[in-house]
Amino acid sequence: MSKLSTRDLIINVPGRPDGFALNLSVEPAQVWGVLGPNGAGKTTLLHTLAGLLPARSGQVVLNDTDLGEQKRRDIARQLGLVFQERQDSFPATVMETALIGRHPWLSPWESERGEDQALAEQALTALDVDHLSGRLLNTLSGGERQRVAIATLMTQNPDIWLLDEPTNHLDLHHQVKVMNLLADQAGAGKTVFLCLHDLNLAARWCSHVLLLYTNGDACWGPAGVMLEPSALEQLYNQKLITVEADGATLFVPVRSGPKP
Amino acid sequence: MIRSLLILGILAFFAVLLAMALGSVNIPLLDLWQTIQGEGSALNRTLLMDLRLPRTLAAFATGGLLAVAGALMQVLLRNPLADPYVLGLSGGAAVGALLAMLSGMGALLISGSAFAGAMLATLLVFGIAHGTGSWTPSRLLLTGVVVAAGWGAVITLMLAITPSYKLPGMLYWLMGDVSYARSPWPALTVLVLAVVLIMPLARNLNVLARGPLQAAALGVAVRPLEWMIYLLASLLTATAVTTAGSIGFVGLIVPHMLRLVLGNDQRIILPASALAGGALLVLADTLARTVIAPEQLPVGVITALLGVPTFLYLLHRSR
Amino acid sequence: MTYWPVKALFCVLLFLPVMVWAEVCAEDEKGAQVCLPEPAKRIVTLSPGATELMFAAGAGDKVVAVVNYSDYPPAALKLPLVGNHTRIDLEALLAFKPDLVVTWVTGNPPAQVELLQELGVPLFSIEPRTFEGVSSVIERLSTLAGTEQEGYVEAAHFRAGIKAISEQYRGAEPIPVFYQVWEQPLMTINNDHLIGKVLQLCGGVNVFGDMSRLVPRISAEVVLEANPHAILTGSVDGKSDGQLDLWKNYSGLKAVARDNLFFVPASPISRPTPRLLEATELICEKLDVARER
Repeated sequence: MSKLSTRDLIINVPGRPDGFALNLSVEPAQVWGVLGPNGAGKTTLLHTLAGLLPARSGQVVLNDTDLGEQKRRDIARQLGLVFQERQDSFPATVMETALIGRHPWLSPWESERGEDQALAEQALTALDVDHLSGRLLNTLSGGERQRVAIATLMTQNPDIWLLDEPTNHLDLHHQVKVMNLLADQAGAGKTVFLCLHDLNLAARWCSHVLLLYTNGDACWGPAGVMLEPSALEQLYNQKLITVEADGATLFVPVRSGPKP
Repeated sequence: MIRSLLILGILAFFAVLLAMALGSVNIPLLDLWQTIQGEGSALNRTLLMDLRLPRTLAAFATGGLLAVAGALMQVLLRNPLADPYVLGLSGGAAVGALLAMLSGMGALLISGSAFAGAMLATLLVFGIAHGTGSWTPSRLLLTGVVVAAGWGAVITLMLAITPSYKLPGMLYWLMGDVSYARSPWPALTVLVLAVVLIMPLARNLNVLARGPLQAAALGVAVRPLEWMIYLLASLLTATAVTTAGSIGFVGLIVPHMLRLVLGNDQRIILPASALAGGALLVLADTLARTVIAPEQLPVGVITALLGVPTFLYLLHRSR
Repeated sequence: MTYWPVKALFCVLLFLPVMVWAEVCAEDEKGAQVCLPEPAKRIVTLSPGATELMFAAGAGDKVVAVVNYSDYPPAALKLPLVGNHTRIDLEALLAFKPDLVVTWVTGNPPAQVELLQELGVPLFSIEPRTFEGVSSVIERLSTLAGTEQEGYVEAAHFRAGIKAISEQYRGAEPIPVFYQVWEQPLMTINNDHLIGKVLQLCGGVNVFGDMSRLVPRISAEVVLEANPHAILTGSVDGKSDGQLDLWKNYSGLKAVARDNLFFVPASPISRPTPRLLEATELICEKLDVARER
C-alpha cells in the first residue's frame, strides 16, 4: 500500500505569507478531511499533493520518493484525484468517461479489455450511475456527473484517493452513499483524503482532520481531537452550537438576527 | 471500431475511383478498366495515370493532412472550432513559403519555411489566446481570426512588392488549388507516418481532451504531449499547404462530422479523419474540375462553401 | 512540254525528304530551342495574346483550342476552350493531342506548365516586351507552324509600320503623359512596359516612366504633382466610360484644362500583337491633338 507524506510543505497560494509548514503523514485505512473557509487553499493543497502544482517549498513524498522525481504514469497508478471542476469540451458517454480511469494501467497499443470494462461497470454500479452508462455526459445533472467522476477514480483504483469536495451537487442520500463508499475503501486499505465544507460529514466519517486557515496556518490530527468547537469557530469565523446525536458530535451554526 | 474504419476506407476508395472516372474528358468505365490493367490508348493512359491519378492522390493526401491536423488541434486546444485555416496556421505556412520563394529558395527550403511559418502561427495563437486563463472559444477564435488577418496582410504586402514575373507562382498559395499540385508522394508519406506515429498516443489524447489537469492526474505527461501535437499539427498543415496552397475548413468539418457519428475516441477519429478528409477533398476537387469544365475552380472554393455554414452552425450551437 | 510530268516528278522526289523530315526549330522566350519533327498542325494557345499572334503568323487554321477571352480575331471565338490562362484544364488540353502548345511566360501557372513539359508536350513560351519582340515572335511561330510566308510578311508589315511611326515622331514635341491602367486602385505603367514604349514612340513622356515596377500602383496626389498634359486610358472599343471622370474635379490639371482626357481601345493596346500598330497610331493621333490644344 502506498504512503503519502509531506516534508515542510508550503503550498503556493499567490499573495499569501508562507504560514505553517505541513508535515503530514497520511496512512492507509485513514480518511482525512480538509476543512477551511473559501480561499484557504484546499484545492491548491490537493493539487500540490497530486503533483499537479509546484509547492512554494518543501516536498511531497510518495513511498519515500519525492513526487517530482516520479513519472506521471507511475504516480497515476498509486494516486488519483477527483476534481471540483471538469472540462467536457467534447461529447463523451458515461462509460467512456469511467473507462478513462484505466489509462495509467494500459500500454500505448493496448485497448481496454473485458476486465477493464468490468471494473468500470462495477464502479458505475457502486455510484448508482450504471443505468446512465450510454448517456452523454453533458446531458446529466450536476450530481450525476459528480458520481461519474468518483466512479472514474474508482475505476482508476489507486491506493491513494484525493477528492475535492466529492459531495458537491449530491442529494442527501448520495452524500451518505459516497461517504460510506469512501469509508469502505479506507477499510479495504485505501488512503482517502478529501476536502469538505460540511463539518458534520467530516465529524461522522473522517478519522483525521486538517484545518486550513486563510492566513496559511494549519493544524491536523485525529478527528476527535481536532473537531473542537472553539477551533472551528475561529476557522470559519462563525459561532457554533454542538449537539450530541447517534454517538457523534454535530455542529449547528448559531443564527443571528430574528427568528422566523 | 475496425468496422467503421473499413467502411470509411471503402468510401475513400470509391471517391478515388469516381475522381478517376470523371473529368472534362469522358472516359467510359470499360476503357478505365483497360487502362488500369495497362491496356487502352496512350491518351487515356496519360489522362488517367499522369493527370488524374497524381492529382487525386494529392487531393487525398492534402485532405487527410488537414483533417488530422484539425483533429489534433481540437484536442490540443480542447475546442471543436479549432482548424488550421481558421486559426491562421495555413496563413503562417503560406507566408513562410512565399518568403522562401521571394528569396529564391529551392523546393525543400520552401517546405521548411512553410513549416516554420505554421509553427510560428500556432505559437502566436497558442500563447496569446492562452494568456493567463484558459482557451475560451471566443478568445481563441478572436486571436485566431486576428492572427489570420495579420498573415493575410503580410501576404498582400509581399505580393505587392514581388516582381510580376514571380506572381503567378506565388498566387496559388492563397487559392488552395490541387491543380497546381505536383508529386503526391511526399504528402502521402507524411500522412501515413503521422497516423502511424500518433496511434499509440491516441488514448493519451482522449485523456488530454478532458483537460490538462485531469490528463496529468491520469498519468499523461501533458507538456511533452502538447508540444508533440503542436509540432505534428504544424508539420501536417505545412505539408498540406506546400502541396496545394491554403485550403480552408477541411480540418473543421471532417473531425466534427466524424465525432457526431463515431464519438470522440481519438483511436478512431484520427485514422478516420485521414480517410474521410482525403475522400472529402477528392470529391470536392472532382467537383471543382468538372462542374464548369473546361473552366476550372480552385478546390478551396468548394471546401469554403461547405465549411462556412458548418462553422457558423457549430458556433451557433456552442453558445 | 512533254517532259513536264518527268520534271514534276523530279521536283517532288527532290523535295520529298525535305517535306517529310522537315524538322522546324525556333528559340522561345525562355531561351529554349524548340524543335518539332514537322510543322505543327494541332496548336493550342494558352493566352489570348498567343491566339492572336498565332493567327497573325498565318496559322489560325492550325489552332485547335484556346483559353477563355481569346476574342480576336473573331474566328478564335469559335474554337473550343481548355480553361483560362491561370487555371488550365490539362485533361481537355491533352485530349486535343496538340503537337505544339504556346504558353505565356508569366501568365500561366508554372506548376502546370512544368507538368506539360514532363508529359512531353512540345511547348513554346512567349512574352514579347518590345516592338521587335512582336515581329520576331510572329516569325518564330510561323516557322514552327510551317507558315513562314504569311508570318514573315505580317512581321515585316508590323516592323515597317512601327518604323514609320518612329520616324514620323522623331522630332515631335515631347508631351508629358499619364497612362491610367486602372482607376480603382490607380495603376499605371513604366517605360519598360510595351504601352510605355508606345507612348515614347509617339513623343509622349510617361510621367511615371522611371518607376521600378512594371505596373506601379500610385496615388492621385502624385498624378496631380506630375501634372501631365494628357491622360489616356484603355476602355472597351475606346468608348468613354467614366473611368477618367475623377480627374475632372481637378481643373488645375493641364490635361483637364485642355480637355486632353482620351480613351483608346483596351484590348489592342494591352496585347503584344500586330493590332498594337493600330493602337499606336491612335495614341499618336491623340497626342497630336493634345499638343495642339
